[in-house]
Amino acid sequence: MDIDIRHIAKLSRLKISDDEFAKFENEMKGIVDMVNTLPQLGEDLAIDENNVMQLRQDIAETGKFTRDELFQNAPQVKAGCLVVPKTVE
Amino acid sequence: MNDEYEVVIGLETHAELSTESKIYCSCKNKFGIEVNTEVCPICMALPGTLPTLNERVVDYAIKMGHALNCKINRVCKQDRKNYFYPDLPKAYQISQSDIPLCENGYVDILVNGESKRIGITRIHIEEDAGKLLHATSFEGSSLVDLNRCGVPLIEIVSEPDMRSSAEAKAYLETLKSILSYLDICDCKMQEGSIRCDVNVSVHKKGTPFGTRTEMKNVNSFSAAVRGIEYEQKRQIAALEAGETVVQETRRWDDAQGISVSMRTKEDAHDYRYFPEPDLLTISVDEKRVEELKAQIPELPTQKILRYVQKLGLPQQDATIIAENVDLANFFDECTQKGGASPKIAANWLLGDISKYLNETGKTLGETKLTPEKMTELIGYIEKNTISTASGKKIFEIIVAEDKPIKQLIDDMGLAQVSDTSELEALADKVLAENEPSVTSYKNGKTNALGYLVGQCMKASKGKANPGMMKEIILKKLGE
Amino acid sequence: MELYEMTAAQLSEKLESKEISSCELTQAVIDRINSVDGKVKAYLTVNAEEAIEQAKAVDNKRISGEKLPKLAGIPIGIKDNISTKGIKTTCASKMLENYVPPFDATVIEKIKASDMVLLGKLNMDEFAMGSSTENSYFNVTHNPFDLDKVPGGSSGGSAAAVSAREAIVALGSDTGGSIRQPSANCGVVGLKPTYGSVSRYGLVAFASSLDQIGPIGKSVKDVAMVQDIICGRDKMDATSAVREYTSIADSLTGDVSGVKIGIPNEYFGEAIDDDVKTAVMNAVHELEKAGAKVCEISLPSAKYALPAYYIISSAEASSNLARFDGVRYGYRAKDYTDLVDMYEKTRSEGFGSEVKRRIMLGTFVLSSGYYDAYYKQAKLMQRKIAGEYKAAFNEVDVIATPTAPFTACKIGQNIDDPLKMYACDICTVTVNIAGLPAVSLPCGMDRSNMPVGLQLIGDSFCEDKILGAAYAYEKLIGGFAAPTL
Repeated sequence: MDIDIRHIAKLSRLKISDDEFAKFENEMKGIVDMVNTLPQLGEDLAIDENNVMQLRQDIAETGKFTRDELFQNAPQVKAGCLVVPKTVE
Repeated sequence: MNDEYEVVIGLETHAELSTESKIYCSCKNKFGIEVNTEVCPICMALPGTLPTLNERVVDYAIKMGHALNCKINRVCKQDRKNYFYPDLPKAYQISQSDIPLCENGYVDILVNGESKRIGITRIHIEEDAGKLLHATSFEGSSLVDLNRCGVPLIEIVSEPDMRSSAEAKAYLETLKSILSYLDICDCKMQEGSIRCDVNVSVHKKGTPFGTRTEMKNVNSFSAAVRGIEYEQKRQIAALEAGETVVQETRRWDDAQGISVSMRTKEDAHDYRYFPEPDLLTISVDEKRVEELKAQIPELPTQKILRYVQKLGLPQQDATIIAENVDLANFFDECTQKGGASPKIAANWLLGDISKYLNETGKTLGETKLTPEKMTELIGYIEKNTISTASGKKIFEIIVAEDKPIKQLIDDMGLAQVSDTSELEALADKVLAENEPSVTSYKNGKTNALGYLVGQCMKASKGKANPGMMKEIILKKLGE
Repeated sequence: MELYEMTAAQLSEKLESKEISSCELTQAVIDRINSVDGKVKAYLTVNAEEAIEQAKAVDNKRISGEKLPKLAGIPIGIKDNISTKGIKTTCASKMLENYVPPFDATVIEKIKASDMVLLGKLNMDEFAMGSSTENSYFNVTHNPFDLDKVPGGSSGGSAAAVSAREAIVALGSDTGGSIRQPSANCGVVGLKPTYGSVSRYGLVAFASSLDQIGPIGKSVKDVAMVQDIICGRDKMDATSAVREYTSIADSLTGDVSGVKIGIPNEYFGEAIDDDVKTAVMNAVHELEKAGAKVCEISLPSAKYALPAYYIISSAEASSNLARFDGVRYGYRAKDYTDLVDMYEKTRSEGFGSEVKRRIMLGTFVLSSGYYDAYYKQAKLMQRKIAGEYKAAFNEVDVIATPTAPFTACKIGQNIDDPLKMYACDICTVTVNIAGLPAVSLPCGMDRSNMPVGLQLIGDSFCEDKILGAAYAYEKLIGGFAAPTL
């Protein structure tokens, strides 16, 4: 089966250069053929009622981390904010 | 609008829930703090962090579900909605896709006196995103503030049941008042605590629904009205020009009063929903679901009906009072506990009280006025102890300062004279001093009566009970 | 016998009796690292000074007569995808080359609370995707039994470090075999605990529903002792099980009489090397001679575990790794024209090719029109497989299989063939798919004198049963062979 590598790459926010494209497409085909050996078992995937979680109590905690600690790994910070290329909207 | 056409409107309304902490972490959930100060490793999506679901978010959503007559899915799950944007740190939003917490409900709205039922498709819980700050001074960049990341939201999706911008507005007003009645959202529109996406389509009456467009960035109810009216005009114009309406997402620009296509953003829109593997099944036991149902107070639409049918208020007055939870509670206290006449209490609320609140920008809670005091004041007026005019004087004071009414009446000497002998003495004095008027009255100039009563009131410095005064004058003139 | 050659169990007694100090021990291990890691290349970060400081502090506590936890003062190595406050946590990726977490993973808090000494961070396949540690952005780790061979992966650094005696014990993470397969390759003991028994908070996620942190050691007892420390309910991890845990280490008796061991024929097919089959069956017979009951069982859907695993793990990975976008932390490309270009360049330059393949596969199986055919079917298969295991555990206590179809490969042998690489996982992925506990322990050598791994699988939260059988085997054969370096 053929998959639209360019579209999948766009969704994944990955760039695949033209020279690596053929190799990549080839590998992806092989992997997809492997997962295609999975048999179809049916339609509905019922919710797992036995796998229930405990919820968190609504209690606020603050001051555990400073902005500087949290942003120490940030590529670009300005006026206490993260900086990204201009976005419209 | 060209009346061969009918507009079809559906709304997706996002309401921020007023919990203590955020939906998936323990950060404080509050508005208007310094940028990036209510943030932690979890809501900024540091590698290795995990979400934990706030139980109060589930409770609040279920309450709203009950209030909108929904079926509650007490066993449900959360899903990831994947897309890249700088205000979304994980690059996915934890939301609900195929199994929302609440579904298949309805709400009754009132549009110029007519009640209409709007279907509620679903209510689900999800997290809010951060904010992007733009300014020309940022030289080609935008700044990201993550404080709002993880603020709990419920998304309320309506059926496409509205047929005019007025209905859409009424629907939004109703949702807003229900949210404030349940006390699960602070409903501050200017802070964006309620936002909506508007789905609009038009079709010629008697023909199938047209293609719909979704309009985002609608941040106030009036903007929703403007947006809908713009969009329906735009679509009708397109159809009239023989074009077709494109199914697309559009962005409402309220400043310019136009909607613009966001197709640019559309191209890679495939959200790849799948069950959130960091969270297990949500299961609320039936007992809890019932407890929450029992906590639902009398809601605006029920109140309006009661005010109109049982208390005989005009529809319009009843609506204005019922849609404001503060006014409604104040009104109920006065009329139920205090036993004040509903009509008079309503007149005060919609008259002097509303006027005062508008002028001062205060809420009822911020004034010194209590239902008890209001009831007492109304009592004095009904018993003719003071005149309505004096009542207004006293209101001016007790709304601002906490003073006993009885004492104010004495200190200001506002008590009306209703003692007959005192009034008769006053009448004799005035009649004696106004022989000419008495004569002209007796010669049939009945309007002299008003003059004479007026003189008495003047002589009593306004304290005389006007009704009694008039009777006594009449009696004496008849002698 | 050198201190670094001893087991944690032995060392804890020497420390307890003040025969040795944590400083001596820690220094001995650091010296060992300095002498052999140039060849093995297991460590990405060695935390030498802080480790010695920590050791001193523990020694002082002990001198002051404080009652200390069993493993207090024992040096431990940590896989580099487990967040350590103030210490780089790179996931062996260019994307996180300089990332320093401001918080500790829950397991690290537990390790610190039990006064263990943090030696450093260990190499791995980038973001734990791989079976050879060749996918590390920084360097290849070499197998201590044959430096021309891979240590397996993805926790190759953890397994190699313990095998080369560069750490007394280590922590790894296992999503499809990443603790067990390298442990088999490097001749050490590795435990993949029951899903939900060890907190994932602070473990950089690969596949959330399959990832588990687990211990690697030179002996079964060591692995049990570390598991006793790291397991437990954690409020920060909604998927962590709400239950009480009793000590596994204390439950180890060495007695296997009456223990029922199941042998699933599906795990002994033609894909499995003959030497591996022989070694595994010999080990099973040892246990049988010691009183275990051995019977054949069948797990018919096991063959579908591999595709199901690659669909589920890649789907979750594509979403879990989307946060690496160059905005809040990590690598950001230098020249870009706009936001999308920044995203695409950052991610294309920051991730290695195996990571990109998995992200692409995951995005594909979740993309509109394919979800039902792939992700949903894989989840259905997951339940079917889990059901088959549940049924099997009504009959037997432990299931024995090879850990890997063959022993360690030559470096570079499969690097250009993803599918060959994926085949290394056929014996291990089923366990993650079913959320079960499994241990890999050495069970002899193959013709090229490389260690073979025996995998013992148990029912949920029955770590005590599999480690009990493993402990018995270790006693029977008198311990495991060490490499000569």
